[in-house]
Amino acid sequence: MHPFDPPVGFSVFPDESLPEGAVVDGERLAHDTEDAFDYVVVGSGAAGAVAAHALSSAGFSVGVVEEGPWVRTREFGDGVLGAFRRMFRDAGTQVMEGRSYVPLLQGRCVGGSTVMNSAIAHRTPEDILDEWATDFGLGDALSAKLLEPHFEALERELNVHAVADDALGENNRLFLDEARAHGLPARRMHRYEKGCRGSARCFTGCPSAAKQGMNVSYVPWSLARGARIYCSCRVERVVVEYGRARGVVARTVGGPPHVARREGRRVALHARRGVIVAASTVQTPNLLRRSGLRARALGEHFQCHPGAGVAAVFDAPVEMGFGATQGAESVHLRRTDRIKLETLSIPPELAAVRIPGIGRELMNRFGAFAHLAMWAVVVRAEARGTVRAGWGGRDKIKLSLTRSDVERARKGLALLARMMFDAGAREVWPGLFGVPNVLRNPDEVRLIDEGPTDPRAYGFITTHLFGAARMGLDPRTSVVGPDFQTHEAAGLYVVDSSVFPTNLGVNPQHSIMAMSRLAAARIAETRARGVVGTRSRPPPPTASGAAA
Amino acid sequence: MKLAPFESRWAEAAMQTIYPGSLDIGLSDIRAMDVGKFLCELMMHLPWKAALGLRIAVWVVALAPWFVLRRLTTIAQLAPEDRERMVAILVASPSYAIRSLVLILKAMGALLYAADDGVRTRMAPPRPSMIPLRVKRVHAA
Repeated sequence: MHPFDPPVGFSVFPDESLPEGAVVDGERLAHDTEDAFDYVVVGSGAAGAVAAHALSSAGFSVGVVEEGPWVRTREFGDGVLGAFRRMFRDAGTQVMEGRSYVPLLQGRCVGGSTVMNSAIAHRTPEDILDEWATDFGLGDALSAKLLEPHFEALERELNVHAVADDALGENNRLFLDEARAHGLPARRMHRYEKGCRGSARCFTGCPSAAKQGMNVSYVPWSLARGARIYCSCRVERVVVEYGRARGVVARTVGGPPHVARREGRRVALHARRGVIVAASTVQTPNLLRRSGLRARALGEHFQCHPGAGVAAVFDAPVEMGFGATQGAESVHLRRTDRIKLETLSIPPELAAVRIPGIGRELMNRFGAFAHLAMWAVVVRAEARGTVRAGWGGRDKIKLSLTRSDVERARKGLALLARMMFDAGAREVWPGLFGVPNVLRNPDEVRLIDEGPTDPRAYGFITTHLFGAARMGLDPRTSVVGPDFQTHEAAGLYVVDSSVFPTNLGVNPQHSIMAMSRLAAARIAETRARGVVGTRSRPPPPTASGAAA
Repeated sequence: MKLAPFESRWAEAAMQTIYPGSLDIGLSDIRAMDVGKFLCELMMHLPWKAALGLRIAVWVVALAPWFVLRRLTTIAQLAPEDRERMVAILVASPSYAIRSLVLILKAMGALLYAADDGVRTRMAPPRPSMIPLRVKRVHAA
């Protein structure tokens, strides 16, 4: 039985009490269908859900198309395999190719990656906004002042606050204590949650709907305001006629991908006013390309935040299985070293890969799992890559980390290893090829300092993605303008992190949502002024940023 | 992309080498978990590229005795000690491709092994303080 089930006959989860007809499940659709809305939103993750909510709240009819299924709170299990198969893109096997292969995790379900991330809220750092204003010519289009009311609204609506004492857990507490001992300013994560129970199951879907993923917040709230969602429907292309976006054509998906592509039903959604693309940094550029856009910057300037973890065994139990999945962090080195330090509690299936050894050695270490802590370094990588369409219609992501990126990761890993020894760890597992699997005293941390600079020696993973359809004034170097509308097609907007000119150095969900909310407010205001159906640029944003 | 029965036997031998279980600490052998069925389902759900990677990993590990131990046999025919010694050499290989392929088997095996109730309970005993939340209100912003 689902451990967090409500009493029998009493429906309480927000993804269960939805208006009739608001959800069209592509897996069950028996025939081709069409529908018409003021706006069609592609994607139901952080960007899409917020845009849908803002536009439906402004009185527009909104259709949302989501490639993945809607996995309800009641269906969330604690197994990683089930979650990977059902909710992750390519069943969690997507990789970024370059000098090394870096796993890239993305959600593919209603709510997108917000269903399986740690719901961390960071406002866009002001130095980043300044960089965009000056280096990318965005001026005041994305200033802190304009974003402020949107951040405030999101924080209010999604209940952003620091991890509470009873959900902190030992992994996070150890990090906070040790960071302070090292003179490193650190804090409890600020997250979107209402009543976190510390189940440490953020990665496989919050079983109590405490985490305010889009699947239990802005998507259901949009549906309550009249929006309709088509889930398990993959958008093949945006229909662009006479320089203007008119709608989208999608195909239903379900079951094994090769079967679904062959048998999918056609879903045509007409957009009277515009199409909002929020399909993610990887899918957005390829969708725009399939839709006939040819901007030179499309698929270029892709950036990410690669991360690597270091584990340690303590004498006392740590129990990563209890407490906020990611509950503590330090951004103190973000500007000077382009790194962020944080905690990371992972389930046994994922931890097993990070436990050194095989056979009897591995089994003996499995027994120490309850005493294991894991912390991670996240790098604001300088490397830039590309997103293209690969063979068989798949996305092809290429990026090779630079030597500086790897050196920064190495510095962060060494710092974390020292902190772990100082916190009382009896063993540290750096997970770095060329360095012993197990370090047993602080002096050995110098082996990490002197470790390789080859990215293939590291177990990087990435989840934060940026660029590939970036914002700018010049159509030769950017894809969308400061109004989030593409340079090439009127009424076609991009509101996800693919428009970010650079990466951030902090978790991006809050920035993505605030930008999307700002974009939706501008679109709503523009349309209210009656500027519809032209290729001319909409008027510049108002001083208030058209905040709703 | 289903694995042939002989490939499945190789994969099972490789995963059993990585996750042999331990009576001392109460961890069962991965063979008690229907590896064949797991692999069959896995191959059905993986995208072709990942499925191909898994198949290559199985072949590399299965035929590794040829170039690691200089013995014309497969992993399935080796004694447990030899298997473990050989896989340990592969995991520590200076070749990124070789050690990454073995890690694929370790990662895929972990999805089965560490998901087993008995193994999970041994690794992460449930906390009595995890009291289920029974009543929540529907949000409406």
